Amino acid sequence: MVFNSLTFLVFFAVLLVAHHLPFLSWTAKKVILLIASYIFYAAWNPPFVLLLWASTIVDWFIARGIWASRDRSRAVRRSWLVISVAVNIGFIAFFKYGEFLMQNWQALMQAFGVIWVAPEWDIVLPVGISFYTFVTLSYTLDVYLGRSKPIESRLDYALFVTFFPHLVAGPIVRPTQLVPQFYAPKQATRDSMLWGLGLIVLGLFEKVVLADGGLANAADKVFATSQPVGFVDAWLGTLAFSGQIFCDFAGYSTIAIGTALCLGFALPENFRMPYAAIGFSDFWRRWHISLSTWLRDYLYIPLGGNRGSEARTYVNLLLTMLLGGLWHGASWTFVVWGGLHGLYLAVERWLREKTGVAGDPASALSRLALALVTYALVNVTWVFFRAEDFTGAARVLAGMAGLAEGAAPVLPTMFVVKVVVIVTAIVATQWFMRNRSLEEVVVRAPWWLTGLVTAAMLFAVTITQGSGQAFIYFQF
Amino acid sequence: MKHYHEQDDVTVREIPRLRYAAIGWMVLALFLAAMTSWELRMRAVGLMAGDIDDSPVAWAIERKRLETGEHDGVVIVGSSRILFDTDLDVWQEMTGRLPVQLALPGTSPRPYLRSIANDTQFDGLVICDVAPEGFFSPFVGALPQFVGMEKSWRDRSPSEHFGHQVGLRLERVFAFMESEYSLFRLIERIKLANDRVGQDGPYYDVWKLSVSYPHRQYFLWRRVEQPGFLRDHARAAWGPFGDERPPLTEGMIAASIADVAASIATIRARGGEVAFVRPPSAGLFLEREKRNAPRAKTWDRLLRETGSFGIYFEDYAEMQGLEVPEWSHLSRDSAARFTRAYVDVLLREGYVRLRTPPEAEPAG
Repeated sequence: MVFNSLTFLVFFAVLLVAHHLPFLSWTAKKVILLIASYIFYAAWNPPFVLLLWASTIVDWFIARGIWASRDRSRAVRRSWLVISVAVNIGFIAFFKYGEFLMQNWQALMQAFGVIWVAPEWDIVLPVGISFYTFVTLSYTLDVYLGRSKPIESRLDYALFVTFFPHLVAGPIVRPTQLVPQFYAPKQATRDSMLWGLGLIVLGLFEKVVLADGGLANAADKVFATSQPVGFVDAWLGTLAFSGQIFCDFAGYSTIAIGTALCLGFALPENFRMPYAAIGFSDFWRRWHISLSTWLRDYLYIPLGGNRGSEARTYVNLLLTMLLGGLWHGASWTFVVWGGLHGLYLAVERWLREKTGVAGDPASALSRLALALVTYALVNVTWVFFRAEDFTGAARVLAGMAGLAEGAAPVLPTMFVVKVVVIVTAIVATQWFMRNRSLEEVVVRAPWWLTGLVTAAMLFAVTITQGSGQAFIYFQF
Repeated sequence: MKHYHEQDDVTVREIPRLRYAAIGWMVLALFLAAMTSWELRMRAVGLMAGDIDDSPVAWAIERKRLETGEHDGVVIVGSSRILFDTDLDVWQEMTGRLPVQLALPGTSPRPYLRSIANDTQFDGLVICDVAPEGFFSPFVGALPQFVGMEKSWRDRSPSEHFGHQVGLRLERVFAFMESEYSLFRLIERIKLANDRVGQDGPYYDVWKLSVSYPHRQYFLWRRVEQPGFLRDHARAAWGPFGDERPPLTEGMIAASIADVAASIATIRARGGEVAFVRPPSAGLFLEREKRNAPRAKTWDRLLRETGSFGIYFEDYAEMQGLEVPEWSHLSRDSAARFTRAYVDVLLREGYVRLRTPPEAEPAG
């Protein structure tokens, strides 16, 4: 089920009551949370719970196998790890990349003159498979790397994998971040409950009002057209998508953090004002933090990170970002998206090494200018992320470069107004909060202003009447 | 245990020190006051509690009724014409059965007829609406939320079904829950003085036309029935009537009829039947339809080549003088009259037999 649905409202209200029943033991409450998490997942497509169970069970046994063989040869432990990676990546490869692999194989065969037609691939992608697979993999990898012991309780382990706030779209949690929270009884205090509810309202506002209501149709219109797109429309459509995807995904993470807080648990931050980033390494410290740190710790560093030669560091960087791109979806456009980010990071690293400049510029104007350049270049990558194919991406990029002379307007004036107002507000807010946390800002604001803004957001969410549109990252 | 990364620490979140009780009460009071004002405003606009939004889930629920295999069942496919112009209560009162209403606004019935033919064992009567410009066009249309429904209706998740039930209960209480009057629909429909050349905004789209009830019973919205801005806007939204649209080509018409004929043959082979209905249109809309899709080249040919029975509104005295306020759909009172008239014809001609006692549940 999705957070922005009436079903979730009922589900969460019932769960909150059950979780706070005073006569239930802590174990009983955890069992309720686990069952509720399975219901949360099954409410989308019941049979796919089996896949979740399979992934959970496989890594439970493999982690124990790795731990039991810790005094034996590295090859034994590695073979356990290979099984885990093969099973988990196998699930993703089959469900997510099966059709992509077939199509590319077909194209490759045709290039060699072999006519082979891929069979029709009518497989539904299990929602959130890339997220929970990375969660279970991080558990096995941590045990393999000696960073943590296997979890002793099956219940705690299953709850760690399945805990519904992070299950389908993150934040991608590590065992050490969440599992210890299951050891002792947790009850949300009144303050954490109300703060959690406030975060849920904020997340819903981002998703329902800004992403779905405010920006989605402008981005859709620009990326759906088959006609040349002019300079203004191409930029507006791309800016609209940049705002949409941020509000959609950051909104999801904020709701996830809020729901966990209402139940007494803490999930890590996933976004820190990414559109105020100065440079691309800064961007990736602020955008989808749980994925970028996952890729860093389990891919970039094991590949050698920056410990080898200079050339090897660049290769590692590019490889990590290319695979990060592919993680998002089975399409070459996602690979290009990741590749562009890898290229940006490599160029930034090279520039910093050549010039010896380590931190941000001293003057505020220079910082702002660099942040805007970063944002503009990030927008170029979003074109590949959003476009259905390279033809569509080329059309929009040509428009952004001013190469589509005489193109007819795509967006009606009211859409232009919406995009300009909302995207400006998003970027300005992120710039203002660049070095501040939400908690700091709220503490400094008058209490009545916090109340007024929260009520306004709640009102806007209600009268926007979201249609329960799925979050973009569910498909990844 | 070694700790290599900051991710290895247990997550702890800061809970800011705020005046939570005061903020909480303030949010509650402001939200209730704002919602009460909004609800009252929406009722003043003419929205009503109990007018439920149609949705893919509502459609899928009706579609599932086809699987029950009633050998004398009735299913309606088509565009908004037959959807608005059929009063299901009248159908039930006259025949004892509640038809399955599968018509969708802006949609050609052809893919749905094909789906009934090929994907079901339905052997009852299919009522197929003919809105000529859509029916014979290669574009099958459909509102965005209904695109591909003939294939994807089984994909509705348990969560969507549950949410639909909760939504129904809320919509029976609150009038503001109307997607056509959601915040951004209202914002986008503000008319600006300087619209971009060649890009008509949502102001020029079709606005709220209908009210709908359980079992997908649609009626024209009372405010559109009455003379005034909304009715004029609805008429204008049907398109620039002055321009000369290219008429349907011979090839388009032939392909449409061939498509329908194949579906009819499959349905007939298992004992079912298809009857066509051409509901009324009026004003410039009717003039355009006559110009672009002349009866002799479309309707008459369709019946002849498929060997089917059809009801054309102009052929029956009891279907004259009906109100078509915005030129495309009947008023609620006229919808009841039209339904009575066309069901009467179907009964007379033996396409529908009385079922007594009535078994189906009321429409709403």
